[in-house]
Amino acid sequence: MSEPLLRASNLVKEFAIRGNGLLGRTATLRAVDDVSLEVRTGETLALVGESGSGKSTTARLIARLIDTTAGTIEFAGREVHALTGKDLHAYRGEVQVVFQDPYSSLNPKHTVERIVTAPLVYQKRPVPGGARVFTKALMERVGLNPDHSARFPAQFSGGQAQRIGIARALAVSPRLIIADEAVSALDVSVQAQVINLLRRLQDEEGFSYLFIAHDLAVVRQIATRVAVMNEGRIVESGERDRVFEDPQDPYTRKLLAAVPRIRPEWDAARRRNEAARRERQEAEA
Amino acid sequence: MTGHPLLRVRDLTVGFTTAAGHTDVVKHLAFDLPRGGALGIVGESGSGKSMTSIAIMGLLPKGAKRTGSIELDGRELTTLREREMQAIRGDRIAMVFQDPLSSLNPYYTVGTQIAEAYRSHRTGVTRREARNVAIEAMERVHIRDAARRVDHYPHQFSGGMRQRVMIAMTLSMEPDLIIADEPTTALDVTVQAQILDLLAEIRRDTGAGLILITHDLAVVSEVADQIVVMREGDLVEQGTAERVFCDPQADYTRMLLDAVPRIDDEIGLLRTTSEEDR
Repeated sequence: MSEPLLRASNLVKEFAIRGNGLLGRTATLRAVDDVSLEVRTGETLALVGESGSGKSTTARLIARLIDTTAGTIEFAGREVHALTGKDLHAYRGEVQVVFQDPYSSLNPKHTVERIVTAPLVYQKRPVPGGARVFTKALMERVGLNPDHSARFPAQFSGGQAQRIGIARALAVSPRLIIADEAVSALDVSVQAQVINLLRRLQDEEGFSYLFIAHDLAVVRQIATRVAVMNEGRIVESGERDRVFEDPQDPYTRKLLAAVPRIRPEWDAARRRNEAARRERQEAEA
Repeated sequence: MTGHPLLRVRDLTVGFTTAAGHTDVVKHLAFDLPRGGALGIVGESGSGKSMTSIAIMGLLPKGAKRTGSIELDGRELTTLREREMQAIRGDRIAMVFQDPLSSLNPYYTVGTQIAEAYRSHRTGVTRREARNVAIEAMERVHIRDAARRVDHYPHQFSGGMRQRVMIAMTLSMEPDLIIADEPTTALDVTVQAQILDLLAEIRRDTGAGLILITHDLAVVSEVADQIVVMREGDLVEQGTAERVFCDPQADYTRMLLDAVPRIDDEIGLLRTTSEEDR
């Protein structure tokens, strides 16, 4: 097996919280508790869990948006939290984050062109082919109309705005994209389109995703491997189908059992009816 | 027993007139909810599903125009005066919202809020009696240690527990109809399952009718026996849950069902409305 792109070992993150009462002593909340994980090149590791499980904190540690309390993160063989100056700059280009709410993570006063070229500008890298041409090409790749490069985020629907966020992440040709609930806020039909887009881009570019999500049905569509978090710890991890079909940990089982689903017999009947409908239409044509 | 359905909606249209012109956000909606039935109103954002619930409750914002007919037990609601409608709300129709924290007052204990809601719809009820009703309602929604928790403030409850408090509040009114607008959308999946079970239990025990408004087709399939699918204010399809899920007729319903991610299966490529991803 090849060396993983990212390897996090024994990560711990503690936050200080105030205790009860006026003289309450400071307590520590261990949000991430001895988490180890690997992301291989070209794969999608889904980190799933409920609110408070520590999945987003883990993502922030890996993106180096916050500092670790303990543990190590290696990216392509280098210790991430030891990086400074130029090397840290380079890391920011290798790892990009796509957030849940596109409107709050895109500057409302900037045009698409300024937003998607910003990561290159910050890193003082040249914009290949010039900003206009570069932006239009990126917009096409994420399924946006390239003629809209001078528009502002508010002029786009939620699904389109999320595509701008994805385009911005792609601008620096990252090797790892951290998607933090990136499709959670979208309507179901739009969500399906964005999932397809994320999969297609990965096929084309070969980068990896660390996909943070609470929705297990979405995770089933996109993950190569799954790690389940509960109360700061990874309680189970493995190949996607193994985790979904043969969960070992009681918490994973509870989580999977709680997911609402359309009755399988209704779904099967619909597929039969759909096939029959298509046959009729073809016969008529 | 009367021959009327619990709720009969006919030709319900809700529109807004702004400087930019007039827009109907709900158009000629019609459905019946039988006594004890569970109707799911499904749609994506902008479908008009929430506006429909607000129109039924008579809580439309100023400037909204509502036409058509809404009958509760054969009684026309659209012509009632505000005072009469206030008596219907809470007493006959109760509503559960998505965000329980914004529906609860942070300055009062949950017990006080349940008790006051109860007292405002029942004359001659003492505070002590109302408090007991509150404890009883909290016990019915399986809040453990209700006699102590009744004196706690909303922030002392988790999201799922707050939603239980909201449901306890509606229960104390003994309504004939509960309208739940995305009641589990903000909740974790394990908590969502508990709240859905609770709603089913309440329907079974009290015989109240339920309108569940949601974007989540899987949730609606577990709860509703009748389905209304809305899109941009239009009713695109309605029928029994089984019929709509097994044999959807409208293209939009079929697209929506195709787009639902499955936990038990990876779909080669999720099918979507547009071709922009091909």
